[in-house]
Amino acid sequence: MNLFGRAIRSCFRKPVKSLLLLLAVCMISLLFLSGMASRSANIAVKDSTRQAIGAGFLLEYNPANRSQRVDEACQKISELYPDGQGSYDGVHLEKMTVMGSESWMVTTDNSFESLKSDDIEKIAAVEGIADYNITTVPTAVKQANFQRIEDADADQTNDFQGVALIGNRDMSMDANVLSGNVAILEGRMTTKDDTNVCVISEELAEKNQLKVGGYLQFHSVKAEEPVQEAAIVGIYQVKERMEPYMSGDTYRSENVIFTDLHFPEKVEQDDPLYEKAYFKAANVDDYDAVKEAIKKTDIHWQWYDLIDNNGNLDTMASNFNDLEKISNTLLLAVAGAGFIILFLIFVFWIKNRTNEIGILLSIGIAKGKILLQILTEAVLIGVLALALSFLIAPAVSGAAADYLAGQQAEQAELQDDMDAGKAATDYQAPELTVTDVKTEITSYMLLVDSLSLGVLIVLSACAASVLIFRKNPKDILSEMS
Amino acid sequence: MILEAKNVLYSYKSKRDKIVLKNVSATFEEATFYAIVGSSGSGKTTFLSLLAGLDHPVSGTILYGGEDIRKKGLNDYRRHHVSLVFQNYNLIDYLTAEENVKLGGRRDAEELLREVSIPREDWKRNVLQLSGGQQQRVAIARALASEARVLLADEPTGNLDEDTAGEIIELLKKTAHEMGKCVIVATHSKQLAEEADVVLEISQGKLFR
Repeated sequence: MNLFGRAIRSCFRKPVKSLLLLLAVCMISLLFLSGMASRSANIAVKDSTRQAIGAGFLLEYNPANRSQRVDEACQKISELYPDGQGSYDGVHLEKMTVMGSESWMVTTDNSFESLKSDDIEKIAAVEGIADYNITTVPTAVKQANFQRIEDADADQTNDFQGVALIGNRDMSMDANVLSGNVAILEGRMTTKDDTNVCVISEELAEKNQLKVGGYLQFHSVKAEEPVQEAAIVGIYQVKERMEPYMSGDTYRSENVIFTDLHFPEKVEQDDPLYEKAYFKAANVDDYDAVKEAIKKTDIHWQWYDLIDNNGNLDTMASNFNDLEKISNTLLLAVAGAGFIILFLIFVFWIKNRTNEIGILLSIGIAKGKILLQILTEAVLIGVLALALSFLIAPAVSGAAADYLAGQQAEQAELQDDMDAGKAATDYQAPELTVTDVKTEITSYMLLVDSLSLGVLIVLSACAASVLIFRKNPKDILSEMS
Repeated sequence: MILEAKNVLYSYKSKRDKIVLKNVSATFEEATFYAIVGSSGSGKTTFLSLLAGLDHPVSGTILYGGEDIRKKGLNDYRRHHVSLVFQNYNLIDYLTAEENVKLGGRRDAEELLREVSIPREDWKRNVLQLSGGQQQRVAIARALASEARVLLADEPTGNLDEDTAGEIIELLKKTAHEMGKCVIVATHSKQLAEEADVVLEISQGKLFR
């Protein structure tokens, strides 16, 4: 009788030991699959502060991913430069000494912060998108031939003493216009064919006696040259003052000047910094289909959030707080615990089979072949356990990812409560509410799971078998008697 | 001469100063039934283990057909040239009587079970469902399955009643005299020793004929 025949008989005629291993392998496999599924889960969240208006979609940078990329670049800089100061991929790290104490300043280039034009163009080309707009971040510049509006009583110490330019590809799709807060009082809005044009507030026009057809001159905050000139094509009015981007009169509502898309970068003499892109659906009835088509676009989705008109956005688990790290930790813990559990099960197996091992040795079967029989049994049971876990995995991984995401959301909520009332010193992540967690068990995950379990089974069985196989046959037979 | 122990010295690894076998030499012929007797702890089982290739001596050699068994390879030696029968039968508990016999070698299991008088209805039964005597018969059948020329048995009647022990002794005698095998039995049993062709006694680490 060959070892396979013995292995089969042992598996089925000694069901308790087989069931023990079957359950353990099944549990470990389920935990592995859940960890992997959670790591790549697609988490639908709702952002109460951001949402597209009308039948459109808003593309913005994913803040968590941005922080992650900054961290990675800083890590790279510290590896590349001995003093830890330097630049990498648009991120600059500099050591500063303020009042005798050292601190690190991280700055980023516009190219690092800006939405990528190529990605915007790809989405714009999706069938069902009628038109699109790109909006720059409010850019602080200095006025050259007019006066801004100032609050004489406000502290302007940290202010740029300038005005804010917001460039739009098509101003009619700017968020302020779509919301109905900004309307044209005189003249027109900027369009995609315009260059060097601007639309100013009625307050600024009044203060400087400006009219449509007039010209405004600007230069960058850093240098007075070169001066750039923009023709006034319109004057706007607001229903409610626009929320300032930062403190100081540079960003006050009346000092916001809408321009064509590329004017801010000309004045700033820098790369463009596109903050958001808006895509208008051609047909409201096709809204959901268009959304799905956009999601299939081949762009760096991990960098972005696609926000719909309800504020819903899909974010990958890796971007959702630290879910990826938690999933990785879970996978490592499962691997470690799995090895220990399997090792103990094989120790139990082998201790209970001392008799059989002794008999097989006494009839001249080599230790290697006996180990191979044990491994064959473990693999047979392992295959059954894996098949079982593959059947259950979708349900379990969904529940696990749901739980982990829920815990993360709860944690974030607690942190928000703790941070309430504190002054904002850095970027504040938007408030996200988890609305759905979708997990998928891919064939790649099944392959990785199978290979990992295979390695764990072989390693633990070999480690456990050392306990008995290091003895000579006579000692094993003595243990039997 | 099929098997020979030549100046075999043995001591336990944990107690090197306690010598169990002191330069023991012996020769064994085919078609002969040997009994090795001696008091408990005298080294009977140890000597049998050395002859079986389950352990190796500190010095000296075990020769099979004139060749050192270690050179032959101990697994190969146990697989093809010697077979073992133990006091506690040592059958694999998840196999049937027939499957246990098949484990021993290529000889026809049914024929062997018939030879050792196991009823046909018990062939497919799990060995744990058989009586002690039947289990020992199955163990002997397994030992015969390999066509090994030497059969070593350690207290084969130790767990059996007198009648059953008698039947097993007859079976061992038959194995030696009719099948032409060299049968070496380590035993306390006077009944068994009396039936042997040659009785060897181990005392104070020495072997006496």
